[in-house]
Amino acid sequence: MLLALLIAITAWILSLFMPWWSLAIPCVLFGAWKGEKGSSSFLYGFIGIGALWLIQVLIIDMQNQQVLSSRIADLFSLPHSSLVILITVIIGGLAGGFSTLTGYFAKEFFSN
Amino acid sequence: MRKNTLYFGLSSIITLILFWVLSTPLGPAPPLGPFMNPNAGFWANAETDYNNDLEFQVNDEALSDSIRVYFDDKQIPHIFAANDNDLYFAQGYITARDRLWQMELQTHAAAGRLSEILGPQMLDYDRYRRRIGMGYAAEQALEGMLLDEQTFSAIESYAAGVNAWIDQLDPAEYPIEYKILDYAPEEWTPVKSALLLKYMTYMLAGNNGDLRMSNTKAFFGDSFIKNILDLDPNWNDPTIPSSKEWDFEADLPPKPNDSFIPSIVEDILPFQPDPANGSNNWAVSGSKTASGYPILANDPHLNMTLPSIWYAAQLNSPSQNVMGVSLPGVPTIIVGFNEDIAWGTTNVGADVWDWYEIEFRDSTLSEYKHDGVWKETEKRIEKINIKGGETVIDTVIYTHHGPVVQDSENEVGSSNVPKYHAMRWIAYEPSNETRYFLEINKAKNYKDYRNALQHYDNPAQNWVFADSSDIAITVTGQYPKKWNEQGRYISDGSNAAYDWQGWIPFEQIPYIKNPERGFVSSANQDPTDSSYPHYLDDDFGPFERGRRINEQLASMDNITAQDMQNLQLDTYSYHAAKVLPTMMEMLNTDTLSEWHQQAYEELQNWNYENNGDLIAPSIFKYWWDELYSAIWSDEYQYADIPLDWPARDQVAWLVVNQPDLKWYDNITTDSKETLQDLVNNSSHKAMSKLTKEFGSYGDNWKWGYVNETTIGHLGQIPGFGKPLFTDGGAESINAIRDSHGPSWRMVVELGPEIKARAIYPGGQSGNPGSKYYANMAVDWNNGKLYPLWFMKNEPVASDSTNYSIIIK
Repeated sequence: MLLALLIAITAWILSLFMPWWSLAIPCVLFGAWKGEKGSSSFLYGFIGIGALWLIQVLIIDMQNQQVLSSRIADLFSLPHSSLVILITVIIGGLAGGFSTLTGYFAKEFFSN
Repeated sequence: MRKNTLYFGLSSIITLILFWVLSTPLGPAPPLGPFMNPNAGFWANAETDYNNDLEFQVNDEALSDSIRVYFDDKQIPHIFAANDNDLYFAQGYITARDRLWQMELQTHAAAGRLSEILGPQMLDYDRYRRRIGMGYAAEQALEGMLLDEQTFSAIESYAAGVNAWIDQLDPAEYPIEYKILDYAPEEWTPVKSALLLKYMTYMLAGNNGDLRMSNTKAFFGDSFIKNILDLDPNWNDPTIPSSKEWDFEADLPPKPNDSFIPSIVEDILPFQPDPANGSNNWAVSGSKTASGYPILANDPHLNMTLPSIWYAAQLNSPSQNVMGVSLPGVPTIIVGFNEDIAWGTTNVGADVWDWYEIEFRDSTLSEYKHDGVWKETEKRIEKINIKGGETVIDTVIYTHHGPVVQDSENEVGSSNVPKYHAMRWIAYEPSNETRYFLEINKAKNYKDYRNALQHYDNPAQNWVFADSSDIAITVTGQYPKKWNEQGRYISDGSNAAYDWQGWIPFEQIPYIKNPERGFVSSANQDPTDSSYPHYLDDDFGPFERGRRINEQLASMDNITAQDMQNLQLDTYSYHAAKVLPTMMEMLNTDTLSEWHQQAYEELQNWNYENNGDLIAPSIFKYWWDELYSAIWSDEYQYADIPLDWPARDQVAWLVVNQPDLKWYDNITTDSKETLQDLVNNSSHKAMSKLTKEFGSYGDNWKWGYVNETTIGHLGQIPGFGKPLFTDGGAESINAIRDSHGPSWRMVVELGPEIKARAIYPGGQSGNPGSKYYANMAVDWNNGKLYPLWFMKNEPVASDSTNYSIIIK
């Protein structure tokens, strides 16, 4: 769980001044350093970025009173605005999960 | 070891592919990574804080002092600046803050540059804008503005303000449409203000029927034109009352003796924009109001979009204090009021767009015949950049009339002397409408109003005026001096007698001040009766709204602002009142089915109000449309060229007054049909069409559903518009139909303390993620007008402004 937390905090700091793909940097680094198994690395990477994006988006969406998320839901022909949040979290989670996994396997590859 | 290599390789590749996919646009969808992430994607456009005071440092040398902008609870900015240049700088800055994407999209659309952002599917659209010379027109207009220092510094200050806003934007702060369409804002330039004004000219003075009229004349003959298309039902109540005496001799150009017959060319684009027929304005004098001071009302009708075409604002500097609506992209207030006067507008719709048949010397199109000699053409190169494609280069030939919109490219080698068409349009003249707006914003009385009007050229507008003692209306515009019916048909481009020969002098343009009847008004109808010496056009808006307004105003006394507001919302259909009784009389009622009988009763009990909750307006609309088509389609279907169709009023007059015309017979059948047959037939057809489109007879036939009012997004992005259930209809004062309707409703009470109420169907923010994006639409729909907070002085801390912005 520490892995997820480290990823989330660092990714959040980097996102303040770098583009969205900067999330891969802590994922790869911490995946290499703290990753113990392939499956757990992917999971913590997914949770780290997914949870970070979820929290950010929930705060925005509540303060915005779903004004924008419901319009985006219409734009993508989704029946409910919460699905927009779900898709956001899945995209972030997948990006986080796969890059953390790659970090872990990189360590395995180079350390042998 | 092997396993590790495989896992590392596989996971690296999957990760890279995933990031690549998330960074790439998928068809029309934006790249999901940049778009969905919470920091810079669309989530960054979700507005969460509406009440924080803000301060911006622009460090612009042009600014002489800091500017204070106070936002009220409708997010209307009230700008206080030390001088006019600072004021227009701030107007540009604040408008860009709320409407940047719209400003750029509209000017791109005007310039024929949509392919740059939307891709190759916009190429035809862009080419057409280039070929009718929109860019040329804007350059001409800018030339007119450059000549006037005051105008140019306003336009430049405004541009500097817009750019100051763009320059401090982080990509995460770009309006959401940039993120969806995946591009970035570019620098704002003064020519863009000119483009926006010409975009309005295109919208409002882009109507012409030369080709259709020429075809109709050739197809049906002169007698059809005379008996049907020239038919004047005499229902029109002109803008300028018939009692007006024209105290001048019009110096008309001579009509050519020859009767030019155009070689009918189907390859001219049949162009017929949505006629902007819906605007109303009027002013009543103090003798008719409860307060003893005039009241002015205006509701210009345009296509309703989100973001709205209008942006409300108050502008205050030591030299002016003015409030109303502006066009995002142009400095000043376009329709509004100041401490002394109020003004408003409707469209005139005069014929200022003509086609000329050109005789070229050879296929190079480098020379054309005019006035007996060969003259050289000019070439204008248009480069159309295309998103994801190669730049297209288009060469447009210009004669002294204007551009040759279609040339040989499509039909190479058809003839050595090809005859193509040049277009003459009022927008090609250097003009400076901005000067008018600058002056009317500061006007104090009738004299200032008339002086300001001299700078107004196009699109021609009925500018209505009121101050605390006078009311007036002027059918303002730059009109070519024409012989009778000049330019109604395609003109002979080689004969100088067909050229535009000078302009109608300002003093001869129709206007009226303080008429005896105690009010002035306009509703796009024919501006004058036939005694007016100049030729403006044959084809103006229909009579109903103008007549209804005039009758209502004439019958009213002790008028209040609320009465004026109610009149703006009037849904009475003069058209139905005129023609429906005749149609009902002819209907055979004994053979009707039970529900058809019910529908018939609905019509019988109808008070001719286009009320959203009624079913009768829906039935009438469909019935009339079917009847109209039953009368004319059989004759018109034999021509596959664009023709001019008789106007609604003309046909209504024929139905009521001439029950035996050969046109009623359906020429595709052997039997002989009468008008009564058509009326009955079309009634059944209308019923089955309504059933097909809206289900069986019942509440779903209510006019509010059938009229289908939708305020769509300007870029047609799904989910960003707003459908509504509305009253009104094309022939009512409240002329809402589809997405066309009262784009701004305003009622101003003149007097020592000027008071105004107004609303538009939209919201001040152009951001779909803001609660101010469409917040006024529902109140607008319910007929509500907001009292405007017109600040005489800067607000103090105890005033309830929402938040403020300081620009330093």
